[in-house]
Amino acid sequence: MLEPLEEKTYILNLGPQHPSTHGVLRVVLEMEGEFIVKADPDIGYGHRGHEHMAENRNYLQFLPNMGRVDYLHALAFNHGYCMAVEKLIGLEVPERAEFIRVITAELNRIASHLLWVGAYLLDLGAFTPFLYCFDDRENILDLLDRITGSRLTYCFYRFGGVPQDIDQEFIDGCRAFAKRLRRRWKDYDNLVTKNIIFIERTKGIGVITKEQCRLYGLTGPMARGSGIPYDIRKSEPYSAYPLFDFEIPIGENGDIMDRYLVRMREMEQSLRIIEQALDKLPNGPIMAEKVPKRIKPAAGEVYAAVETARGEFGCYIVSQGDVKPYRIKLRVPSFANLSILPEISRDTLVADFVAILGSIDVVVPEIDR
Amino acid sequence: MLSENIKKALGPLGLEKVAPGDYAKTGYHLEVAAAPNQMPAVAQVMRDQGCFLESLTALHFREHFTLVYHFAHYEELCRTVVKAVLPLGQQAPTISHIYPGANWYEREVYDLFGIRFTGHPDLRRILLPFEADFHPLLKQFEEEAEKSETKADA
Amino acid sequence: MIKIGLLEEALNLARANSLWPMTFGLACCAIEMMAAGAARFDLDRFGAGVFRPSPRQCDLMIVAGTISKKMAPAVVRLWEQMPAPKWVIAMGNCAISGGPFYYPTQYAIVPGADLIIPVDVYVPGCPPRPEGLIEGILMLEEKITKRGRLRKFRDVK
Repeated sequence: MLEPLEEKTYILNLGPQHPSTHGVLRVVLEMEGEFIVKADPDIGYGHRGHEHMAENRNYLQFLPNMGRVDYLHALAFNHGYCMAVEKLIGLEVPERAEFIRVITAELNRIASHLLWVGAYLLDLGAFTPFLYCFDDRENILDLLDRITGSRLTYCFYRFGGVPQDIDQEFIDGCRAFAKRLRRRWKDYDNLVTKNIIFIERTKGIGVITKEQCRLYGLTGPMARGSGIPYDIRKSEPYSAYPLFDFEIPIGENGDIMDRYLVRMREMEQSLRIIEQALDKLPNGPIMAEKVPKRIKPAAGEVYAAVETARGEFGCYIVSQGDVKPYRIKLRVPSFANLSILPEISRDTLVADFVAILGSIDVVVPEIDR
Repeated sequence: MLSENIKKALGPLGLEKVAPGDYAKTGYHLEVAAAPNQMPAVAQVMRDQGCFLESLTALHFREHFTLVYHFAHYEELCRTVVKAVLPLGQQAPTISHIYPGANWYEREVYDLFGIRFTGHPDLRRILLPFEADFHPLLKQFEEEAEKSETKADA
Repeated sequence: MIKIGLLEEALNLARANSLWPMTFGLACCAIEMMAAGAARFDLDRFGAGVFRPSPRQCDLMIVAGTISKKMAPAVVRLWEQMPAPKWVIAMGNCAISGGPFYYPTQYAIVPGADLIIPVDVYVPGCPPRPEGLIEGILMLEEKITKRGRLRKFRDVK
């Protein structure tokens, strides 16, 4: 007679190389049959030591790093870091520069969300939306490429403004793109949002309550999907955002579907912001007049927060009156967002786990820094 | 006003400093200084006031560490920074039973600075490989700095 | 070893024109790798668009991004799991030499994929544009077959 097995659970190792972990995330799953008893994310496979690097270079030298922390929404990270340093040295940014920052950051946000939709649907097993999303995304990259000079890891903002003005061709391009993307919403609706397979896989899965959001410090679409209207652009207005009229889409149930819908609606709001900014674009300089060549802030500290595509990015700089920062802490959104994973993936199926993990929209080098 | 409420609620704890911050300059509405063993009580107050833990990090100075906690609120704009000075070689109490989100932050601080949190359920390295034997964000003061310089030159 | 000249050449031609890369992204460059496989750049034109999730089905590893010290053993293991013949493209400065993240006191990264696995083609850039990756793949084809689509462009003086 066969002895019954003592252990009921077994360990399943997901990653670090796995197509649906969005890079190099490893999750150790303790399974009981098809169900997950415990998920233990093991991060750090993309750890590049940004914070250590910051202490070894001066303020300007660290700027290119910001494009590489969260490469999908690089301009928001540029923005947060520039804002923090500008606060630290007391630099005013001209209005036109703020407008250009808003326009480019919002374009970048759409690109980031589009990539998420494509890659997430790829996780769920749909290949076509990936091609659609990348097609649209390439249009944004063309626009940004023209003025920033790169496709992905932008280093476009400077302390005190932006180095490059936008021209008529860029403005026309943005308007044409907005028109084009609005026509595509119907395609996305038919292809994804109304797709019965997609609905079945996302409705009621991975539910996060408001209280859980608060205890884990979730921000961005993760919190908004659960019905918390927390968006730094509104709740702690920075740059030129108070001048524009836009809404914060929120979800009701806090499931994957809501997070998806929040991101889709956010893209529409971003288009609105871009169009308003283009309409109101003021003339004037794009760089503050008295930008010190050598940035040597007085001793002190500053915390500046911006809204990235994934949530709140907070840049905490401590200066001791040196040309190098004493410490830079990057409060990255995905770090907190991912820390809830063990909680929400308990007692789910592996297939759902992949859906939940994708819906967090993790960028692993951003978590690991 | 939330910052007033927090101030009032923090009053009975007898903290070292509870003062309004200069928001335009530092981004804080409230600056608090506490001792590390007061942190669980402070975190409990912040949780009762509806704040969430925004970030937790540490600073390494010559004589001591400073633990820096940022709290913010979803509905109202109010960022509170709590600083706790921790002498070198001592342990700080965890707040991960109050804010589960602090679990990972404390692991990160342990990983990067080597600060141990008493009562933490699972204090392992998080970013570096488990077998690593150093804490990268510790400042290398003087003699160590010289040593590493000669090493780099060689 | 018996060398079967003509057959080998034919095989190489087949291999070079249907390189199956691994779905393996480490950091920023992975996004450009995805972009290269997507609608506009369409790696399928060169037979290299079939990204496989399992290393056992691949013959091309594109090291796209920074290799951290924690990740390095996994990269080596993945490479070892790939069946021969296999090739490696180091995509981006990080995979070539550590790129912008390498400095004397850096503790977290491996400065260059070629320190842990043999690399055939280096594609510089931070990140390289998809065109760059495509050129890298064409160079690899050339390396495999000793003839290539790019040669006729390059020989024109």
